[in-house]
Amino acid sequence: MTDNFLEARSISKAYTGVQALDEVTLNIGRGAIHCLVGENGSGKSTLIKIIGGVVTPDGGEVIYNGTSYSHVRAIDAIREGVQIIYQDLSLFPNLSVAENISLNQMVEKQNKVMNWKEVRRIAADALSEIDEELDLNEVVENLSMAKKQVVAISRALTQNAQLIVMDEPTSALTREEVDHLFSVIHKLKEKGIATLFVSHKLNEVFEIAESVTVLRDGKKVGDYPASELDNDKLTYLMTGEKIEPEPYTYAPDTGTETPTLEARDLSREGEFKDISFKLYRGEILGITGLIGSGRTEVALSLFGLTNPDSGEILIEGSPVHVSTPRQATKYGISYLPEDRLTQGIFQHQSIGDNIVVTILRKFLDKFGLLQTSQKIASEKSWIERLSIKTPSRNAPASSLSGGNQQRVVIAKWLATQPKVFILDGPTIGIDVASKKTIHQTIRELAESGMAIIMISDEIDEVLKNCNRVLVMNKGQIAGEFETPSEVSEDEVFELVTKDTTNEVA
Amino acid sequence: MKDFLKGLFKHNETYLALIIIVFAGVLTLINPQFMSFRNIFSLLKNSSGTAILAVGFLLVILTGNIDVSFPAIAISAQYIATTTLIALDSNSLALAFAIAIGIGLLYGSINGFFVTKFKLPTLIVTLGTFNMFHGFLLEFVGTRSINIGQLPDAIKDFGDINLFTVAGSGSNPVGFSIFVGILIVVLLLTFFILRFTLLGRGIYAIGGDAEAARRAGFNVNRIQFFIYMYVGVLAGIMGMLHIALINYGNPNYIVDSELLRVIASVVLGGALITGGKGSLTGTMLGVLLIVTLEKNLVMIGLSSYWQEFFVGLIIVVGVTMTHVQAKLQSTQKVTIVRSH
Amino acid sequence: MTEKNANNLMLFIIFLALTVIMTVMIPERFLAINNFRSMMRQFPEYGLLALGIMLAMITGGIDLSIVGITSLTGVVAAQVLIRHAESSLPSELFVAVAVLAALGVAVLCGLLNGILITIANVPALIATLGTNSVFLGLAIVFTEGHGIRGFPPEVLLIGNGQALGVPVPFLIFLGIALFLGLVLNRTRLGFNMVMLGSSPVVSQFSAINNTLVLIKTHIMIALLAGTSSIIILSRVNSMRPGYGSGYLLLAILIAILGGTNPNGGFGTVLGVGLGIGSLQILTSGLNFMGFTPFFRNFIYGLLLLLVMVINYYRRQYSGRILVPKAGAGTESGQQ
Repeated sequence: MTDNFLEARSISKAYTGVQALDEVTLNIGRGAIHCLVGENGSGKSTLIKIIGGVVTPDGGEVIYNGTSYSHVRAIDAIREGVQIIYQDLSLFPNLSVAENISLNQMVEKQNKVMNWKEVRRIAADALSEIDEELDLNEVVENLSMAKKQVVAISRALTQNAQLIVMDEPTSALTREEVDHLFSVIHKLKEKGIATLFVSHKLNEVFEIAESVTVLRDGKKVGDYPASELDNDKLTYLMTGEKIEPEPYTYAPDTGTETPTLEARDLSREGEFKDISFKLYRGEILGITGLIGSGRTEVALSLFGLTNPDSGEILIEGSPVHVSTPRQATKYGISYLPEDRLTQGIFQHQSIGDNIVVTILRKFLDKFGLLQTSQKIASEKSWIERLSIKTPSRNAPASSLSGGNQQRVVIAKWLATQPKVFILDGPTIGIDVASKKTIHQTIRELAESGMAIIMISDEIDEVLKNCNRVLVMNKGQIAGEFETPSEVSEDEVFELVTKDTTNEVA
Repeated sequence: MKDFLKGLFKHNETYLALIIIVFAGVLTLINPQFMSFRNIFSLLKNSSGTAILAVGFLLVILTGNIDVSFPAIAISAQYIATTTLIALDSNSLALAFAIAIGIGLLYGSINGFFVTKFKLPTLIVTLGTFNMFHGFLLEFVGTRSINIGQLPDAIKDFGDINLFTVAGSGSNPVGFSIFVGILIVVLLLTFFILRFTLLGRGIYAIGGDAEAARRAGFNVNRIQFFIYMYVGVLAGIMGMLHIALINYGNPNYIVDSELLRVIASVVLGGALITGGKGSLTGTMLGVLLIVTLEKNLVMIGLSSYWQEFFVGLIIVVGVTMTHVQAKLQSTQKVTIVRSH
Repeated sequence: MTEKNANNLMLFIIFLALTVIMTVMIPERFLAINNFRSMMRQFPEYGLLALGIMLAMITGGIDLSIVGITSLTGVVAAQVLIRHAESSLPSELFVAVAVLAALGVAVLCGLLNGILITIANVPALIATLGTNSVFLGLAIVFTEGHGIRGFPPEVLLIGNGQALGVPVPFLIFLGIALFLGLVLNRTRLGFNMVMLGSSPVVSQFSAINNTLVLIKTHIMIALLAGTSSIIILSRVNSMRPGYGSGYLLLAILIAILGGTNPNGGFGTVLGVGLGIGSLQILTSGLNFMGFTPFFRNFIYGLLLLLVMVINYYRRQYSGRILVPKAGAGTESGQQ
C-alpha cells in the first residue's frame, strides 16, 4: 500500500480510430492538490471519465486505496470516494439547496423514505464542514455560479469523498470567488481530501496546485511540481512548440479608413454595458473574459440573436438595425457559435446541407425552386476549399471529427461572404493539429480583407492570433491591448478576473 | 407576516384561488343556492373522479412526459370490472375494485414497458395504447350500456355512501360522499410519495434534469415505470367512482370527456408541461375551477354547447401564461437553449 | 443507400406484400375496380391530414388540432353553402365562396397555432391540444352540435365526381401531394423546415427565421385540414362538428408508418403515400374479413407501437454501422 489515493496505470482508450489516451499514468496522493492540464482534445475528459468509472478503458488499471480495478463501474468509483464535479455541476435547478446536497447520499444509501430533518442536517453538516452558509430552502436555479459550485462540493462531501475532481471550476468565477474557492479547497486538504483540477488553460488553479500532470495529444508529457512551472514552460509542455507562431500584426489606417464594424455604447440589461469599439478590415480583434463577462453576449447582440437595449451598430459607417440573424447576415455579419455540437451543426443532416443552409436562396430560380445542380456544385467546392475530410457530401455531419465539423461551420459562414466574421471559441474541443490549421485559415481570411472578431477564454490564443485584444469583465470593456504580442498573459489575466464593483444594472 | 404574504403571491395557486373565490362570488350573486352545503358537497362529489385522474396526470407531467391513454384505462377498468361482476352474479364491491385496479396495473405497465424499454415519444406510445385498450374493450368485452337495473347493488350502494351528513337548507340532510374521502386518501398518499419518499423526489429530479438524476444514481426507468402504473391504478379507481356516480355504464364514456378536462386542470394548476414544476394544490384548484365553470356555464347565461370551447380556451390561455412567464424569467436562456 | 431510400423501399415491399396477400385471400372482391375507386374516394380526407402531421413532425412538432380545424372550416363552408337555397345567385358562386371561406378560416387557425408555438413559446403538443378544443368548440357553438345538410348539388361533385374514371378526391390529393413534395425538396421553406426540425437551436444560429418557418408550416397544415373538410362535406353531403375524430390517430399512424421521424428532421411525401396505401389495403382487408371498426382501432394502435418499436431497432442497428462505439456525436468524450 502506497500513500497514493489513486493510481491510474498505463491507461489507453481509442475512439473510432482516434487514440484519445495512450498509456497514461496518473498518481494522486491523499489530500493532494493536483492539476491535470492539456489543450482541448488532449484526452483530459476521457481520463477523468475513466477515473470516475463512466468510460471503460481499453487497457490499463485503476487503483483506488490499493484496490485494483481493470473495469471500474461508476458505482465502484463512488464507493471508493471519487466525486466528479462536471462543468455543468449536474444540479437540479428546481430543487432546494438542502435536497441538492443530500439527495445523492440518500439514493446511495437506498433510502426509501425522505427524512427532511435528516436532509437538512446532512446539508447543514456538509456546508459547515467547509464553513459555508447558504439558505437551505433556496431553490438552486436562483443561486450564482459560485454558490452552485459550493452546493456541488458539499454534495460531494456527503458521499465520503476522498478525491474531488473539478472540471474547469474557475471559468465563470471572478478573482474574489476564486479565492473563496481556494479557501474551500484548503479546508478539504486539511481533512485529507484530495482535489484534482482539470483545465485546458493556464489559470489561477496553479496558485494552489502542488503538482501538475500535462497531457498532449493523448500522451502524458510528464509530472511537474507546480512551483517549477511558469506560463511559458507550461505552454511549451502543452503545445510542444518552442517556436512561437509569428504574432499577427496589422495596423489599420484609422485616419482615412471607415471601420467595417463599429459598436457605440451598446448596452443590454444584465449582460453588458456601454460597449464601444471599432473594427477595421484586415483586423483580428480578440475578445476575452470569463463566462458571463459579456464576451459571448455582445456577439449574440451583434448577430441579432438578442437585441441591445440601447446603443448603435454601424456597418461601414452607416447605422444599421440588426434585430435578427437574418438581418445580420444581410449586413455581412457572421457568427460561429461557442457550442458547436448544439449551436453550430445539424448533427443528423448531411454535410452538404449544413454548408448551404445560409445561402440557399442563391440557388433558387425565378419560380423559387431549388436548382439542385448548383447547390451540389457549391457544396463540393466548399468541401474542397476548406479540405473537409469526408467520403461524401451526403454523409451526416455527425460522422466528422470535431475539427472537420468546425470547418463545415466555417464554410457555411464564409459562403455568405461576410464582411465581419465573429468566431466564438473557434478551437473548443478540437485537436491540436486542426487547431493550427483553423488559426491559419482565420489569418488568411483577415489578410484577404475580412474583419474578424475572435472570442476565446484562452488568453494565449487571443494574444498570439489577434492584432488587438479587448478584455471584458462584468459586462464592460475592462481594457484594450494594442500590441498583444508584447503583453504578458498575467497582465491580461488580472483584468479578466478583477473584481469590479460596478455591476451591470 | 409580510414575508408570508409576499411568498404567497409568488405562487400560481394564490391567483387561482382568488379567481375561484371571485367566480364563486359571482355565481352566488346570480344564485344564492350556489354556496349551500348541498351544492358544494355535490360539486366535490362530482369532481372527485376527475381530480383523481388529474393527480396521476400531474405525476406524468412532472417528469416531462405525457399520458393520453388514462381515460381508456379508466373506462376499460370500469366496464370489465362491472361486466365481470354481472357475469358472476357477484355483489362484491371489493372484487370490482380488485379487478379495476388490476386492469389499471396491467395497462399502466404496458405503457411503462414501451416508454422505458424503447425510449419512444410518450405521446405517440400512449396514443397507440389508448386505441388498443379501447378497441380491445369494444371488440372483445362489449359495446352495450349497463343500465341501473343490471348494475350490482354493491356498486349502486357505494355511490350513496356518505362519510357524514350536515343539516341542509331544506328538510333533507346533506351527505359528504365517500368519493371525496377516497380523493383525500389519494391526495394524502400522493403527497406523501412526492414529499417524503425518495421515489417522489426522484420524480421532481427527473423533471429538473434527467441526466443529473441518472448521475445521482436514480433509476430513471424504474421511476417512470412506477408513474405509469400509478396512473393506471388511479384510472381504475376513477372508473369505479364514475359508474357508481351516474349508476350507468357505457364503454364510450370517459374517453370522450376526461382527457381534456384533466389536462386543462393540471395545466391551469401551474404545472409546467416540460417538467419539474407543479403541485397537488394547484392541480386541485385547477380541477375545481374547470368543473365549477363547466357545471355553471348555463347559470352564467351560456348554453352547454360552449363547454368544449371554454375548456380549450382555458388550456390555451393557461399554458400561454405559464410559458410566457417562464420565457420572461429566462430571457437570456431563450437563445442559448440546449436542444433536446 | 441513403436512409430515405432504404425506408421507402421497405415501405414499398410492405405495400406489395399486403397487396399480394389480399389478392390471394379475397381475389374476386379485392381486385374489383370499384374497390379501388372507393379506396381512392375514402383515403384523401385523412391522407391530407396525414401529410399535415408529417409536416408538423418534420419540424419536430405535432399538430393535434387538425380534426378541430376540419370541423370548424367544414362548418363555416357548410354555413355558406346552405344559403344558396334562399338566394337567386348561381350555386357555383356559393361553392366558390364556401371553399374560399373554409381555406380562409384555415389560415387563421394555422396562424393562431403558429403564434402560440413560436411567440408565446408554448410546446406544440399542448398548444394544439387546446386549440383543437377551441376550434371544435366554435364549430359546436355555431351548429349547436347538429349536422348541417342541404348543400347545392354542384358541391357534391368534389367528393363524388370522377375525371377520366378517377375519383376527384384522389386527384386533389395527388395534386397536393406532388405540390408538397416540391415544397419539401425544392424550396427554401421545405429545406428550412427539415433543418429546424433537426435542431431548432442550430437553425436559429444559422439565420433561419424559426418563427416564420413554424407559422408557415402550421398554416400549411391548417390548409390541408381545410381541404380535407371540403372533401368530407361534399362526399358525405353533410357537415357535423367532430366528424372524423378518429382521423387524428390514423394520420399519426400513417405519418409514422411512412417513416417520418417524430423527433424532427426527416419525412417524405412518398413515404406517407406508401403508408396510406399499405394502411388502406389493410383496412379494406379487415373490412372484408368482417372485423368491426373497434377491432380496426385496436389494430391501428398496435400497429403504431409496432412500427415505432421496429424503427427503434432499425435506428439501433444503423446507428451501430454509422457511428461505431462512441460516435463523433460524443466528441466531448475525446477531449
